Amino acid sequence: MAGVHLEGIVKAYGAVQVVHGIDLEVQEKEFVVLVGPSGCGKSTTLRMVAGLEEITAGDVTIDGRRVNRIAPKDRDVAMVFQNYALYPHLNVADNMAFGLRIRRMPKAEIKTTIAEVAQILGLTEYLDRRPADLSGGQRQRVAMGRAIVRHPKVFLFDEPLSNLDAKLRTQMRAEIKRLHNRLGVTSIYVTHDQVEAMTLADRIVVMNDGRIEQVGTPMELFNNPVNTFVAGFLGSPPMNQVRGVLTETGAKVGNSEIKLDAKVNGHVGREVIVGIRPEHVSLRAGDHTSPFPVALDLVEPLGSEALLHARFGDETVVFKTETGGDIAQFSGVDHVHVPASLVKIFDAETGQAMSFGA
Amino acid sequence: MVDHTSSAAVNEPGREVAQDGHWIRIVDHFKREWQIYVMLLPMILWFVVFLYKPMYGLQVAFKDYSIFRGVAGSPWIGFEHFETLLYSDQFARALKNTFMISMLSLCFGFPVPIILALMFNEITNQLFKRTSQTIVYLPHFISTVIIAGIVITAFSPSAGIVNQFLQWLGIEPIYFLIKPEWFRPIFIGSGIWQEAGFSSIVFLAAIAGVNPSLYESAVIDGASRWQMMWKITLPSILPTIIIMLIIRIGNLLEVGFELIILLYQPATYETADVINTFIYRQGIQGAQYDLAAAAGLFNAVVAFVLVMTANTISRRLSNTSLW
Ligand SMILES: Nc1ncnc2c1ncn2[C@@H]1O[C@H](COP(=O)(O)OP(=O)(O)OP(=O)(O)O)[C@@H](O)[C@H]1O
Ligand SMILES: [Mg+2]
Repeated sequence: MAGVHLEGIVKAYGAVQVVHGIDLEVQEKEFVVLVGPSGCGKSTTLRMVAGLEEITAGDVTIDGRRVNRIAPKDRDVAMVFQNYALYPHLNVADNMAFGLRIRRMPKAEIKTTIAEVAQILGLTEYLDRRPADLSGGQRQRVAMGRAIVRHPKVFLFDEPLSNLDAKLRTQMRAEIKRLHNRLGVTSIYVTHDQVEAMTLADRIVVMNDGRIEQVGTPMELFNNPVNTFVAGFLGSPPMNQVRGVLTETGAKVGNSEIKLDAKVNGHVGREVIVGIRPEHVSLRAGDHTSPFPVALDLVEPLGSEALLHARFGDETVVFKTETGGDIAQFSGVDHVHVPASLVKIFDAETGQAMSFGA
Repeated sequence: MVDHTSSAAVNEPGREVAQDGHWIRIVDHFKREWQIYVMLLPMILWFVVFLYKPMYGLQVAFKDYSIFRGVAGSPWIGFEHFETLLYSDQFARALKNTFMISMLSLCFGFPVPIILALMFNEITNQLFKRTSQTIVYLPHFISTVIIAGIVITAFSPSAGIVNQFLQWLGIEPIYFLIKPEWFRPIFIGSGIWQEAGFSSIVFLAAIAGVNPSLYESAVIDGASRWQMMWKITLPSILPTIIIMLIIRIGNLLEVGFELIILLYQPATYETADVINTFIYRQGIQGAQYDLAAAAGLFNAVVAFVLVMTANTISRRLSNTSLW
């Protein structure tokens, strides 16, 4: 029931419009991640759902109720902020109790709720501490605890992990996922980290410049990006995009041709962008692969895998491949093999994905 | 730089070298940071000329000072001046008045800028906010003489706006400025009027430093503006309030005596004469420099004890302190 529905959401600051009409249906218990480059309007959108920003046009519906004119406290949402927004003068228990006290929950009930949530988050032994005496990860947990104790219909997260170091971020990411599985509360999560988006989301919303580029499950977006923006945003490293021209059997890039599975009839001669995922190439030829000549530039070993940076004409491409524990083997590489079935084609002009009907 | 000294110490071990290293480090430090010391210089000069050098003259508090014999030539007489002061009715009265006026202006005057700052913070209309701020800052920039003029005019029994208002209410005119019981309210009130606005700037700055997401989080939790003021703003600026309070307590006995001199008259000495005006009358008008110096020194020692005590209490209670 507690879904969130955005319909034609627009936000303008004076004459400047920063969000240009967002339509999004978040199902009950769903974990939706808004992702996009800095300044694309993710926070603004989230804050309109929270009620911290006025909605210029469009409707926000929470649990079937239009909330445009409803005060934040009555929307039954809880928000976790990037900088945690913990009250420095209150200890952990009082921080978590803040919202409950304002809502005049009976003291005994507050106590049991906080004990319970502290237990879930592993904060029991820190309840008497002030935020200043906690580590970043613990503070983050308190911020989450403060949201959880309220038992809201919707959780809103605005980059809750971006103040943590990489290791802690990975750890907390898993914790948030576990927590969501356990509590099953509808969540909208803003991040600009695509790994966070991929790992946490039931569905990802890729935003750019105040608009939604694509909505879908992580794998949908990864496998079938609708345009070059989404293709370039998800995956690490992101999809390689090289200019080419469609031919009868594939796409000609530079002096070589990359074979495609699809028949491009009718589009021959069209200028396109050929998208190749770094991890889709291999060093050995296989069925339906085409060789792709490259001038190897740099090898970055990551352990079991390595990133091969190569020049292709005046463009740089990156490939990811298994090392088998040895990177000396890459020194002689002068071409990679691209599987026909996994190559993506985008219109060079519009950047939209082209489909050729198998 | 550090590398340089440590490698020297390694090459020639021994005590002397370590000493050398120390000096090299100091010289290097000055070579690197001399601009900072140059910037510090005017302030040091100011302290020396206006605060440390006059301290030399303080010794006359323990001497039978005469202008002709000079500070150094006058004979020591120990604590005689202090005894004279403590047995003098006038000094006892001045001491009592100083405490009364400063305590009352602390109690009434200290909270006002905080309240003003909290109120300004709640104003959402920018134009209204700026205008009202300017209006309350303004008296700070008016010289004390003019303030005194305004006060005297306002409370004048014949033409003063206060008495006209009282007459309009059907009350007989009151000769405010010659009634001892009115002196303290008028003095403290005009002090608040003059300085409260300007002092509120410190608290406004502290409020501006409060993380805005604390308020956003509270809004989502359902806190009212009143609750946010009590539960977020005030606790967040509490350290600033405490620091300002300690400073204020340190200056407790520094009653703004220019305004007193301009406002008081023999009829109101009973409540208006403070240590500083006493010093002024004894020292400057009565040429009893040694006695006045003793009174001033007494004042300073009490103030010193007060600020130390306030600081210690605050450090114990709230972990906030000046030093
Ligand atoms: N008060 C404001 N007045 C004018 N423009 C604003 C205001 N607040 C935000 N913007 C603009 O709105 C756009 C979207 O901002 P928003 O904070 O939503 O970005 P974001 O996607 O959250 O970025 P980030 O990843 O950096 O947090 C930005 O271009 C920003 O400059
Ligand atoms: Mg943001």
